[in-house]
Amino acid sequence: MDLSELMPPEPLERILGELPGVRPGDFLHVRLHREPLLAYPLLEQAGFRWHTDTGGTHGIEVYIWRDGDRLAEDAMPAGRT
Amino acid sequence: MLFPGNLSLDQAPPISVPFRFLLSAPLFGVLAGLLLTLQGPALLTGRWSPGVLAFTHLITLGLVTQAMCGALLQMLPVLAGTRVFGAVTVGRTTHLLLSGGTLALAIGFLADGGSWSLAAAVLLGGAFLVFVGALGWGLSRADNPNPTVAAMRLAVTALAVTAILGIGLALFWGGVPGLLFMRSLTDVHLAWGLLGWVGLLVLGVAYQALPMFQLTPEYPLRLRRHLTAALFALLLLWSVLHWLAAAERIPPAWPVSAAATAGAALLLFAAFTVRLQKRRRRPLPDAGLAWWRLGLAGLGTAVTLWLAGRAWPGFAAHPAYPLWLGGSYLLGFAVPILNGMMIKIVPFLAWFHLQNRQLALGRADVAVPNLRELLPERTTRWQLRIYVAGLGLLALAPLWPALASRPAGLALAASWGLLGFGLGQAARRYRSVNRALLLAPAGEGPGA
Repeated sequence: MDLSELMPPEPLERILGELPGVRPGDFLHVRLHREPLLAYPLLEQAGFRWHTDTGGTHGIEVYIWRDGDRLAEDAMPAGRT
Repeated sequence: MLFPGNLSLDQAPPISVPFRFLLSAPLFGVLAGLLLTLQGPALLTGRWSPGVLAFTHLITLGLVTQAMCGALLQMLPVLAGTRVFGAVTVGRTTHLLLSGGTLALAIGFLADGGSWSLAAAVLLGGAFLVFVGALGWGLSRADNPNPTVAAMRLAVTALAVTAILGIGLALFWGGVPGLLFMRSLTDVHLAWGLLGWVGLLVLGVAYQALPMFQLTPEYPLRLRRHLTAALFALLLLWSVLHWLAAAERIPPAWPVSAAATAGAALLLFAAFTVRLQKRRRRPLPDAGLAWWRLGLAGLGTAVTLWLAGRAWPGFAAHPAYPLWLGGSYLLGFAVPILNGMMIKIVPFLAWFHLQNRQLALGRADVAVPNLRELLPERTTRWQLRIYVAGLGLLALAPLWPALASRPAGLALAASWGLLGFGLGQAARRYRSVNRALLLAPAGEGPGA
């Protein structure tokens, strides 16, 4: 999802809204304007893990998957976990 | 990275800390508006009328400082990666003393009552001692001083200077002997309060808030690094030159040059901000943006009026001039920026705390209202319209006081009343959803 043109906290609302649909083996990939620091404690509460890529040319990219989901971790692009 | 520290919910103060300040702030605005409505033309007889002094301090202390204290206590962990030790006690004590002191000061001005002024000096002295001490301690521990943290430090220093001078003036008003010299420091008190405490904090927060909330590009690094420090240095220089000029040891043009340079720096900030807002990533209308635009127009007007007053002394001598100048900075710039911040921060905090609780308790059965449900856009739109009408009437009031002063007061009181109502609704909604989240889910009660 490209959320880079949404005003806060819309990106956070959208991410939290998508979480129930993340199935085992899947990960959520979002593109943002800024690093979503406020999302991290909420993702932790919801039982998810994440990897944030801040060095990309398309802004900030975040990969989110269920805690302990090895399949999702394996499915992610190299070096993202 | 935007935030220097690792953001943690444990670091943020309980929601009651910022809410206490942010929900009371509009009430002082309503009081100020009602005071103007009741006194009408009598209030606008000049810069030194008791009504103007009471009105001004209800706004500067009751509305602006109240909101800034609440926002700072909340933002310190987020923007500076540090926190205030004992935030709940600091918040409660500061709020109580600041609210009581503001009311006592306003009554002292209106009733010409020495004992009220003395009570105000004690209460406000206590409030600022606690607040500046706690904030200063927190800011001194910020290990990565970015330009916003640097601006906060300077703004809190400016608040301390303003408070010391203001307490001296309140003691003088209260009849304490030997303080006649304080009268000559009134303009210094005013400059440190308006330009230092309010101006520096607005600049520092804008560096973070605009790119984050309005999706603008970043302010240039050089501007972020040097503008607030330059303004603080100019304020210091102006204060010394003002004192020397008052003692007739240097020509009066010297402090004017320092102040004009500070005015140019503020115009530079306003121009950069407008330019950045034009380049924002999502050019859609937004109430927060509208309040910011009004505030920047107010800042431009205030600086232009000040410069015009220096260029044409006849204009500055007009009885309406000081009211226009002070009104454009305070009600045209400071209040709109703070108002724009309050309508964002209160619903956001309510939403964020509810969302966090819902996830922690796994209560997907209780719906968390979104920001527009917490503070409807039609409320913020109407509040802005009524405020702009009030501001327009207030600009006319010094020229046609009998015609415009009471409607101006009524409109401002209505606008702040609507702000208080909207923020109060958001807080009530927060409490009811929070209660629902904490209740046992259906079928899991004690008897089930």
